[in-house]
Amino acid sequence: MATNTALDVVMPQMGVSVSEGTITKWLKSEGEPVAADEPLLEISTDKVDTEVPSPGDGVLQQILVAEGETVDVGTKLAVIAPEGAAPAAGLPSAEQPPPEKTPEPATARAAAESNAAAGGEAVTPTAETTEATPARTPTAETTEATPAPADAPTDGAADGKTFVSPVVARIASEHSVDVGQVSGTGRGGRVTKKDIMAYLEAGPQAPAKAPEAVPERAAGATAPPPPPAPAPTGAPPRPPSPEPAAAAGEQLEPMTAMRRGIAEHMRRSLDTSAHVTSAIEVDMSRVVGIREKLKKEYQSAYGVNPTYLAFIARTAVETLREYPWVNGEIRGETIVTRNFVNLGFAVELADGKGLIVPVLKNAETLNLLGMAKGVAQLAQRARDKKLLPDDVQGGTFTITNPGGYGTFHGTPVISQPQAGILGTYAVVKRPWVVQDELGADVIAIRSMMNLTLTYDHRLVDGALAGRFLRDLRKRLETWDESSY
Amino acid sequence: MAEMTYLQAISDALRGEMRRDKRVFVIGEDVGVYGGAFKVTLGFQEEFGAWRVIDAPLSETAIVGGCTGAAMMGMRPVAEMQFADFISCAWDQLVTVAAKQRYRAGTPVPITVRLPSGGGFSGGPFHSQNPESSFAHIPGLKCVCPATPEDAKGLLISAIEDPNPVLYFEHKHLYRRIKTEVPDERYTIPLGKARTHLEGNEITVVTWGAMVYTAEEAARELGDGSVEIIDLRTVLPWDKKAVLESVRKTSKALVLHEDTRTGGFGAEIAATIAEEAFEDLDAPVKRIAAPDAPVPFSPKLEKAFIPQVEDVLAGLRELTEY
Amino acid sequence: MAIAREAEPIGSLKEVREAGLDRDDLLEVYRKMLTTRGIEERGHILYRQGKIPGSFYTGRGNEASVGVATAMGPDDVGTPLHRDMGVHVARGVEPWRIFAQYMGRVDGPTKGRDGNVHMADSRLGLIAMVSHLPAMLPVAVGCALAFRIREEKRVAVGWFGEGASARGDTHEAMNFAGVRRLPVVFVCDNNQWAYSTPTHLEYATENLAGRAEAYGFEGVVVDGTDVLAVYREARRAIEKAREGGGPTLLECLTLRMEGHAVHDDAFYVPKEMFEEWARNDPIERFRAWLRENADLSDDEEGEIASGVKRLLADAMRRAEESPEPDPATLLDGVYASPEDLDTPHHK
Repeated sequence: MATNTALDVVMPQMGVSVSEGTITKWLKSEGEPVAADEPLLEISTDKVDTEVPSPGDGVLQQILVAEGETVDVGTKLAVIAPEGAAPAAGLPSAEQPPPEKTPEPATARAAAESNAAAGGEAVTPTAETTEATPARTPTAETTEATPAPADAPTDGAADGKTFVSPVVARIASEHSVDVGQVSGTGRGGRVTKKDIMAYLEAGPQAPAKAPEAVPERAAGATAPPPPPAPAPTGAPPRPPSPEPAAAAGEQLEPMTAMRRGIAEHMRRSLDTSAHVTSAIEVDMSRVVGIREKLKKEYQSAYGVNPTYLAFIARTAVETLREYPWVNGEIRGETIVTRNFVNLGFAVELADGKGLIVPVLKNAETLNLLGMAKGVAQLAQRARDKKLLPDDVQGGTFTITNPGGYGTFHGTPVISQPQAGILGTYAVVKRPWVVQDELGADVIAIRSMMNLTLTYDHRLVDGALAGRFLRDLRKRLETWDESSY
Repeated sequence: MAEMTYLQAISDALRGEMRRDKRVFVIGEDVGVYGGAFKVTLGFQEEFGAWRVIDAPLSETAIVGGCTGAAMMGMRPVAEMQFADFISCAWDQLVTVAAKQRYRAGTPVPITVRLPSGGGFSGGPFHSQNPESSFAHIPGLKCVCPATPEDAKGLLISAIEDPNPVLYFEHKHLYRRIKTEVPDERYTIPLGKARTHLEGNEITVVTWGAMVYTAEEAARELGDGSVEIIDLRTVLPWDKKAVLESVRKTSKALVLHEDTRTGGFGAEIAATIAEEAFEDLDAPVKRIAAPDAPVPFSPKLEKAFIPQVEDVLAGLRELTEY
Repeated sequence: MAIAREAEPIGSLKEVREAGLDRDDLLEVYRKMLTTRGIEERGHILYRQGKIPGSFYTGRGNEASVGVATAMGPDDVGTPLHRDMGVHVARGVEPWRIFAQYMGRVDGPTKGRDGNVHMADSRLGLIAMVSHLPAMLPVAVGCALAFRIREEKRVAVGWFGEGASARGDTHEAMNFAGVRRLPVVFVCDNNQWAYSTPTHLEYATENLAGRAEAYGFEGVVVDGTDVLAVYREARRAIEKAREGGGPTLLECLTLRMEGHAVHDDAFYVPKEMFEEWARNDPIERFRAWLRENADLSDDEEGEIASGVKRLLADAMRRAEESPEPDPATLLDGVYASPEDLDTPHHK
């Protein structure tokens, strides 16, 4: 049948017990037109060899699994596109072929598929949250399942069995009765349902001991802990994580999934990398001037702002070329470096909901304009909640801007598994010592900005970090607008 | 009202249905001229003719498969297995065809298969079994196990009316031993509803078939009115609600059946009680059943095999003292 | 009582008229055979495109089963098997429903609850088969029992393969039917291979039709690739049963032209066997007969073929639109309710 959308060709199941098949021969090549039901390829399974017919009319747009490969039933083998569709140049492989790929992928495209940063969840390596202060400590008392007190029954039964059956436990808890106070006529002196019902009927002198008393008595018990029994204070079965109670003046709210994700990543990152931060002051006056000049042109011609981030990103990417370890990664005992930069940059979400770090892939191919556009588009998508998983994975280096609110220094958390994160801060006019045309020292007003590089000292030493920052600064301070 | 034995109540129900509905017919080995191995259909062929009381060849497959086909064509067949034990010869027809036809092909199979089951008279391994648990495991089938003459009549009529394949286990040891008042008129007893055979507050005994009487005797020997006996009457679907309600009241449960222990239907009941009435239990759920062996022949062995009043009494005492 | 009798092939159009079919009927038979084959060929493609889950069985070489179905009366019932797609088609099952059934969609006769040919439309007098062959034979006999009890002039037809004949159900069903002279016709699709097991490992006699004598009725061997001969013998047997003459065992001899199922390439079947029986292709044989004896023209032939092609293309499209079953309905219908007994059969 005619296709309007792309059709998948999948490995068929040639028999109920067959779980995989091998491609023996592709009968068509990429780009060739195919008709519905026309044989596309030959396969071999452990039951039979056969041909696989095309699911529809169109063009064999892409072959995803090569001859000789064995894949599971249901694996996508190829894509049939409608007539006239361009061959897919930039499509990433949907299914990974059997893993023989080297740790250092040969092509940029393949590399774009390599390890995600933090598992899909939004990550924010801002300075503010490096010190995680727990909001409140949950109170444990009401939820701990304490063993029932080993209270000797009054009739002094021989083996001192202190088992409390489920129904007795429930009745005791419903009526706030201390089972230890009830005399037991059951086997081994246990308190039976009858006993506790009789006790309740016996009347008001039954002491309504507070549940909190029980743990204290348990502490004093001498008998061996009884077989697992729900505590008299215990309520009906609880979900695994006990919920804390709010003390006076406190409000409780559950953590969102994003917050939990951030918390987990922050902790893990600090536990993984040896975080060290170096800072440098950059005279941004030149950039400020160029930026002013470009603003109007960029707005009218391209609809984007030439932001400071774009300038810094551009120079950072240039500089990373010479400092591949800062764009690198530690995998086991191996150091991974790349000839591409997937640049992550932090975006603050509305309503203080958190931060997300979209990734601009292959940032090394972008000039200033490309950087500005790329950043603007991704940021907009982030705010519109239209980011795809691909947009937040695969970063190799991150830039964050803790200085948005005027701060001049910070120590961001590295986004694992990267090796460094660049922090930018407020551009502030400061009095600065400069040289005049005669070489003498004078005070001038300069637009100054601090930059920090927080780096993983397992891989990047202070000297390297210092040189990186030095070169980065140089580029910013001597920005040549004709070449970018 | 009239006094009828358990067997007479079954005959009465069957005869009434055959008079009432021409689609009902009986087929089995020796059911026609001979009147059935246990004489349940004595006189039927004279009244209804040889094409409604059919002497089948010795072939449970042809009998059950034949009933299935006839039911699909609009009849309401009632097959008789000469002994419940022979149902294994028709297992395929029941489980593969009859049980699954409604689900996958939309075709109901309204057949009834009568199964004289149970031991206690040296019938040996092939004439004494209680195979209800195997079939209670098959979605699409229903399993009925009446204990009293009154229930036997009403349940058989319901079974014949039911649009599904129903296995009707009539305990042959009750055939002539139990005699009670049974209403003359036609009445039905819903499948899936248990009956409280005896009321009490301390222990729930869940059982069916001949064991109802064993439990009753044990309860009376215990003598303190503490035992409640729930007669399930239908094993599939079983009256979970009634059982749980009773257990919530008494907090002690004993499941009793004549079938062997491992995988006997009591296991399903015990597991359900533990799962859904955990917080109402004052003692572990007890099971009393025959040991895991074929039914032995010699009276001494058979007595050690089939749960006796003493066995049930011991179980009750244990629960009382727990 | 005749022991296994060998049926003669049909000669002229006149003979066929005597057997109850006119020219239009014959063209319809031809069309149905083409449709049957077309459905199964298309099914192969669908299976290899991954659209049909589980396994896929065909009856290539057994298209003459259309002949048996044509010989059945409108109120007769049958329990066809997986090589008898021709019976479903001839009784009026719409091809789109068959495709939907293959693909496990809601509009298949089993609503996705069972697969491949385990289907039947009970309104068309068909009963769905099970995998435990030949468990449907006692059921067919049961249908005949009902007809006999009610003294209705209806016949049940039960199919089985030569492999299945090794199981007790065949014997028990035939014995019961013979003893009671029930109006049932037993049709054996003897395609010479039960999966990889040849006939000499399934039975020790020269043919299966001869067993009929043991049950007290007649057995006939027919060339299962000659649809007209199959029709004639089936008609004879069915009418005999209808008039109270008791059962007949009809053994239709053909060759299973493909593997047991799609995953089986039948390497164990000697190539010569395939070559020889390919020359007896039922559709080709009938087409040649029609051209020679019924003046089938090129135009007519072309029209029938393109009509079938169109029918199947439409059927495929319609089947593809049928939705997948909803998991929420999984437990529906395990048990029948009293309302389910409101079918014409059950009243």
